[in-house]
Amino acid sequence: MYKLVLAFRYMFKRRISYLALAAVGLCVFVVVVVMTVMTGLVVDFRQKNHEFAGDCVVGTDSLVGFGYYEEFVEILEQSEFVEAVSPVVKGYALVSGAGSERNYGFELMGVDADRHSAVTGFGRALHYHQDDWANAFRPSYEPNLPGFVAGIDIWLERDSRSKYTHPSEPTRRRFSVSCFPLTAKGALARAGTDVVRTRTFYFSDTSHSGLAKVDGAMIYIPFEWAQQLSGMGGAVKRASAIHIKFTAGTDLSVGCAGVNDLWEKFKAGKQNEKAAALLETVRVQNWKDYRRQFIAAMEKEQVMLTIMFALAGTTTVFVVFVVFYMIVSHKSKDIGILKSVGASDGSVAGLFRLFAVMMGLSGSVVGSLAGWLFLTKINDIENWLFERFGFQLWDRTVYAIGAIPNRLEPGVLAIVCACAVLACMAGAYLPSRRAAVSAPAAVLQVNQL
Amino acid sequence: MLKVFLWLRYLHKRKIVLLSITAVALSAGMLIVVASLFTGFISAFEQSAVELMGDVVVSAPVSFSNYREFIETLEDTGDVEAATPVLTGRGLLHLGAGNVRAVQIWGIEPQSRARVCGFANSLLGGDGLPGPDSDDSGQQAIGYVGIGLVTEPDPASDEYDFDAAREIIGKRVVLTTGAIKEVGGAVGPRAEVKRKTFAFTVADIVFTGVYGIDSGFLYLPIEQFQRQLYPDEDGERAQMIHIKLAGGCNEAAAVAQIRGLWVQFASEKLNWGQHLISFTDIETSRRMQSRYVLELRKQMGVLLLIFGVASLSVIALVFCIFYMIVMTRQRDVAIIRACGATSSSVAGIFVGFGGFVGLIGAAAGVGLGYIVIKNINVVEQWIRIVFGLKLWKSSVYIFSRIPNEIDWGWAQVIGISAVAAAAVGALIPALAAARCKPVDILRYE
Repeated sequence: MYKLVLAFRYMFKRRISYLALAAVGLCVFVVVVVMTVMTGLVVDFRQKNHEFAGDCVVGTDSLVGFGYYEEFVEILEQSEFVEAVSPVVKGYALVSGAGSERNYGFELMGVDADRHSAVTGFGRALHYHQDDWANAFRPSYEPNLPGFVAGIDIWLERDSRSKYTHPSEPTRRRFSVSCFPLTAKGALARAGTDVVRTRTFYFSDTSHSGLAKVDGAMIYIPFEWAQQLSGMGGAVKRASAIHIKFTAGTDLSVGCAGVNDLWEKFKAGKQNEKAAALLETVRVQNWKDYRRQFIAAMEKEQVMLTIMFALAGTTTVFVVFVVFYMIVSHKSKDIGILKSVGASDGSVAGLFRLFAVMMGLSGSVVGSLAGWLFLTKINDIENWLFERFGFQLWDRTVYAIGAIPNRLEPGVLAIVCACAVLACMAGAYLPSRRAAVSAPAAVLQVNQL
Repeated sequence: MLKVFLWLRYLHKRKIVLLSITAVALSAGMLIVVASLFTGFISAFEQSAVELMGDVVVSAPVSFSNYREFIETLEDTGDVEAATPVLTGRGLLHLGAGNVRAVQIWGIEPQSRARVCGFANSLLGGDGLPGPDSDDSGQQAIGYVGIGLVTEPDPASDEYDFDAAREIIGKRVVLTTGAIKEVGGAVGPRAEVKRKTFAFTVADIVFTGVYGIDSGFLYLPIEQFQRQLYPDEDGERAQMIHIKLAGGCNEAAAVAQIRGLWVQFASEKLNWGQHLISFTDIETSRRMQSRYVLELRKQMGVLLLIFGVASLSVIALVFCIFYMIVMTRQRDVAIIRACGATSSSVAGIFVGFGGFVGLIGAAAGVGLGYIVIKNINVVEQWIRIVFGLKLWKSSVYIFSRIPNEIDWGWAQVIGISAVAAAAVGALIPALAAARCKPVDILRYE
């Protein structure tokens, strides 16, 4: 009990303690704010990647694709843990508008709009067909024409509030889309000079996945057309990937392991088939691994920021050390009396450790509250700064970021607070040791009083 | 003299002062590293634009003829050292079995381009550029391919396999692009894009160290590309002119002069109306990047502010340490005062000592920052080897290597701020020392 009383006493009676508290609070405030924003961006980015890919992808990086996918889709659809499956064709396309001298190179994705929307967030990313995604490739002005969906940044400009202004109806515009059709061996499908396949498509909708590299570079066309343009529609039809959504409650790793087992059996069964070699390049990946190269970049930035904050936090540990050193020096008589009435070395050290924990907790509470208050107002502050001074944390016309993430993550908060307490304990370690080993006879001598 | 003697004595005797020096050094070093990384990145970003496009770019809304005449006019002015035409397009490149890439095509004059920017230095083959008088009309079509199109950087080391890339030299690849043809219509003739596919031999591999350029650009001789793009046109055509300015000339004045020459050329030689002329962008390549550079500078400012705020603890630390020193050295203070020193000179000793500590910390911080920045690529490589964590990838951060030049301007600002912060931290303890009365402290009892 005396430990608690003394710890409280040192905390509130020694004004120098407030300085350590302020240093801890300041550090917690900065880290909570920055890590909340950073974590929000990472979580949002991961979520968007998950929406884009579905739960699991069976696919190949090769533009040749792989055969027999229809049979494997059937197998997957019969599995209990699979809710929906969507085969896709991926490649590159050269696109040019009617009456324009310009060509554009885009990534091409051929999907069945209905199936792909059941697996991924494709349907929800559409603008004009959000409630009717099965007809995403039917332009509303002429449903019989073959339509295409463009990544939103290809089609529209983002304003300074990160908003896009869509016309009430899709604009009637036609584009020719050309691809290199490739044989199963990767060679050009036709010899001679006229080796590309071209077809005209009409603008039908935009897709806003929220991923800048997708929305600024991807066009979507119906699966069968993409298959034909890419040369994958021969005797053995080919696809680039199969996107899979698991049933609710299915663990991601368990689901992926199940798909992998099915794939291995399927591959073994096809080893004597004509296009079996293409199956060797196919990998089964969960969405995190499939989009790893994009997600990893943001996660690394978060790691680097954490390391830098750990360095900046060293100063706070020093502050705590000096404050505790001063308190131990000034309270040597208290320590002497405690030890002379029977307190052990461990108890005295425990007293200062408790004080350090209290310091860490108080600093965490103060810093977290200040951080929470700042975060609740962060978007208002940014809006105010933008209206008055034209300042935005991120120029929304450059970065595909909406509002600044400000949802305080309990996990992040807990880690930051735990680190603050640990930092205080680290700072208090040497002074508390010094207090513990001090001899009462030395500090309670008459000439010391 | 007494001040300096006391500073050195406290520094030597009071080991706890080393803690404040360490804290100042760590904070200053970290801020210098952040600032230098950002300014190095921005500078490399701007320089990459100059390396790619020269100093000034004239970009027309549509392709134009007689570009040689315009280039001669430009080169007659004292401000322009060299100029080179560019014809742009997009295409799909078939590089081999199952390997198709979307590419940005630049039709270039390799010789004049080498005079404007670092094109010749970016070639891996080592055979140099074709001679200025070489006529490719009867020869095999050739092209220069970005290294990122033929090989991917190693996922672990982020380095290209240059030998594998060189093996592509001399191979035939197939390109498809759009040829602009005039077709008849109900309301008269109009230009329409028709697909055009042709094969060429890879003459060399281009490696600039800038990921976006290396993985997306294909360069063809301009005459060759023009024959494919405009099969119905006989004369020479270009869409952009890249210009290298003469050393020491005023950029703004040169841009204004080039704009004037362009207006004259477009109206007199091309018969363009005011509307079409007004859509021509004439800008320095650095200024073309200004929007993104501004964002980078803003991010740097925000990050420095965040770490600056986090580093405010240094003031608290210096305050605590100096307060402790003042409390334990009251007798020194009293003796100095008893010898006739004024309150302000006593305060000056401690504020000066704060500044002195800040100065040593800042110097150590600058040294630390310098060592980290200069060896940042080695540090990053060691992190990869030890932890398997590749922090810097050209596909994410544009460049193959981390910029490793220290920003001395920011180092000065941060160093001065560190000294000021330490002096501010010492201010209250100094005032406490100044207020102490010798008669109270030096009494016998």
